[in-house]
Amino acid sequence: MDRATTSAASTPHRSALVKRRSKSKSHRQSYRSCSGGAASRIGLTPALTARRLNTSRKAPKSLNITERVNAEHLALLVKTKWKLCYATPLYQFRHTMLKSYARQLSAFIVAEKQRGLAVEVEGAQNHFRASFSVLQGLAEADDPETILIQIHSKPLFSSSEEPQRCVWSGWLSCINGNLDYLHSLPQGFTCLPLFGSSGTEVLTTLVKSWCQKTFDCSFGPLEINYTSLQWFMALLTNCHTESNIQHLKMIWSIPVEPPLQVAFTVSPQDAWELWSSVRTATRDLADPGGCIDFEEVERFTQGLKSHFYRHFRLDLSAGSLKEVSTALGGASINGRVKISNSRYMITTLALLTECALLKMPI
Amino acid sequence: MSLLKPFSKLPNINTASILLVESEEHLQQSLADVLVEESSITVNVRLAKSLPLPKENDKDRPRIDLVVFIINLSSEQSFISAEASLKYLDPGYFLGKVCFMVTSARSAAVPTERMDAVRKLAASLHSPLLFAEHQTSEGVAAAAERLLGILKVSAGVVPMTTALYLSNLTRCTLPTDIEQPSFD
Repeated sequence: MDRATTSAASTPHRSALVKRRSKSKSHRQSYRSCSGGAASRIGLTPALTARRLNTSRKAPKSLNITERVNAEHLALLVKTKWKLCYATPLYQFRHTMLKSYARQLSAFIVAEKQRGLAVEVEGAQNHFRASFSVLQGLAEADDPETILIQIHSKPLFSSSEEPQRCVWSGWLSCINGNLDYLHSLPQGFTCLPLFGSSGTEVLTTLVKSWCQKTFDCSFGPLEINYTSLQWFMALLTNCHTESNIQHLKMIWSIPVEPPLQVAFTVSPQDAWELWSSVRTATRDLADPGGCIDFEEVERFTQGLKSHFYRHFRLDLSAGSLKEVSTALGGASINGRVKISNSRYMITTLALLTECALLKMPI
Repeated sequence: MSLLKPFSKLPNINTASILLVESEEHLQQSLADVLVEESSITVNVRLAKSLPLPKENDKDRPRIDLVVFIINLSSEQSFISAEASLKYLDPGYFLGKVCFMVTSARSAAVPTERMDAVRKLAASLHSPLLFAEHQTSEGVAAAAERLLGILKVSAGVVPMTTALYLSNLTRCTLPTDIEQPSFD
C-alpha cells in the first residue's frame, strides 16, 4: 500500500474499484443489500433480511496505537463521551482540501449565528474557528482516514488576549469497514459512516447541516441495540486478562408500574470466570485470541441473567438492557459511547462502524 | 399435559371465539374491547397470559376458533413465553387456527435477531405473522380488523372457504437469504 508514503492526507485511491464497477453494476447499493446473493435482488425484501451483524468476530487484540496516533488527539478521543450518528457516504470529499473546508464551515457557522441580527456584530467572525484534521493511524486496510472536526470559540465578552477554547468536537470515521461495500461505492464517494460529536446540540446541528449541503449526505441517529450491547459486554470482558476491567456494570429497565431501573454490577473476576466458562473448548490454546461466536456472547448474557434470577427472583429478559460499562469503556442504547482505553479503541470502533453501516437507509 | 383441542366441542350458531395469549398484557385488553364490538357475528374473546389454560372452567369455555399469540419484540420474555405456550396446543390448531401478532417491531432498540426468530417460528408452524401498533387506537383498530377477517374464516361463518385454505395463502414464508454467511 503506497498510500501512507505518497501524501500525509490522501483520499484512498481506487484503482481496483473501477474494474469492479464495470463488472457488477452495483451503484446505489446499500451495505444491507450488497451481500451479493441473487435472492436479495429479485425482490425478496432485501431491506429486512439481507444483512445482519456479523455473528463471529475476532477477539480484541490489544493494539498499542499510542505510537501511531497523535497523543493530543488520542487524549481527546479517550476522555470524551461521544454521541453517535450514522452518515451516508460523502460525495466529492477530499482529504486534501481540509483547510478550505475549515474556512467554509467557520463562515457557515458565523453566518448562521448572525441570522436575525439587525447589525453586524463587531468581530463576530473571530468568535468561531473551525478546524479539520486527519487522525492518522486509526484506519486499517482500505478504510478512509478518520477526520477530526473541532470548533474553537471565545466567550462573547472576553478580552482579546484570552485564548480560544475548543467548544465542540466531532469526528467522522470508518474502521474496518466491509471491503465489499467500500469497493462497491461509485467513484467520488467517501464512506465515513460513523459520526461522533460532543458539544452543544446547536453546533452539532450546524455541522451536520453544513456537511449535508457540502457533501450531499444525510445523518440519522445511531441506536446501539441489544445485540450490539451484548457484543460490547463480551468484547470488553474478554480483555480482562490484559487490562483490568474493574467492574462490569449493566443498567436494565423493567417495564412495570412504577418503572424499575436495575443497576447490576459484576465483579471483574466473576465476569471473567463466567466468560471463560462459556467459551467453547475447541479454541486453539496457542492462539488465545481467536474468534468469538455470537452463541458464546448469548450464553454469557444468559449466565448473568440466570445468576440475577437466582438471587432476586427477577427475570431480566422481561426488560431491556439500557447501558453497559466497564473501566475500559461503555455504551448506552441511545447511542452514547465512551472509550476509556486507547488500546481497544480499534475493536470498539470497528463494531460501531458495522452498526452504522447497517443502520444506513437503502 | 392438557392440550387445547380445536374440535372437542360443538360450535354455537353465528358465534366465533378467539383466544388472545400475551404474557405482558399490553395490547390484549384494548384489542378485546375493539373485537367485541363486531356486529355481524357474536365474538367471544378469551384472554390468557400463557397456556395451558386452567382446568377449572374448562366446561364453560366455548370452542376456541383462533389462537393469537401476541409477541412484544422489545422483550425477550414475551417471545420465550409464547414459544413455551405452543406446546399446549393440539396439532389440529396449526391447520389455520393459529396466528402470531408482533408489536413494537419498528422500535430501533429491537435486535434484528429477535425478529428473525419470530419469523422462523411462524414459518415453521405454517402460520400467518401479523404486525400491529399497540400505542395508538388506530393501530389497535387495524389489528382487530385483520384478526376478525381471519377469525370469521376459521369459525366457519364465511362460505366457500376454510381456515386451512386461507392459511395456505397467508402463512409466513421465510426469505431464502435470512441466513447470511458473514464475510470474514
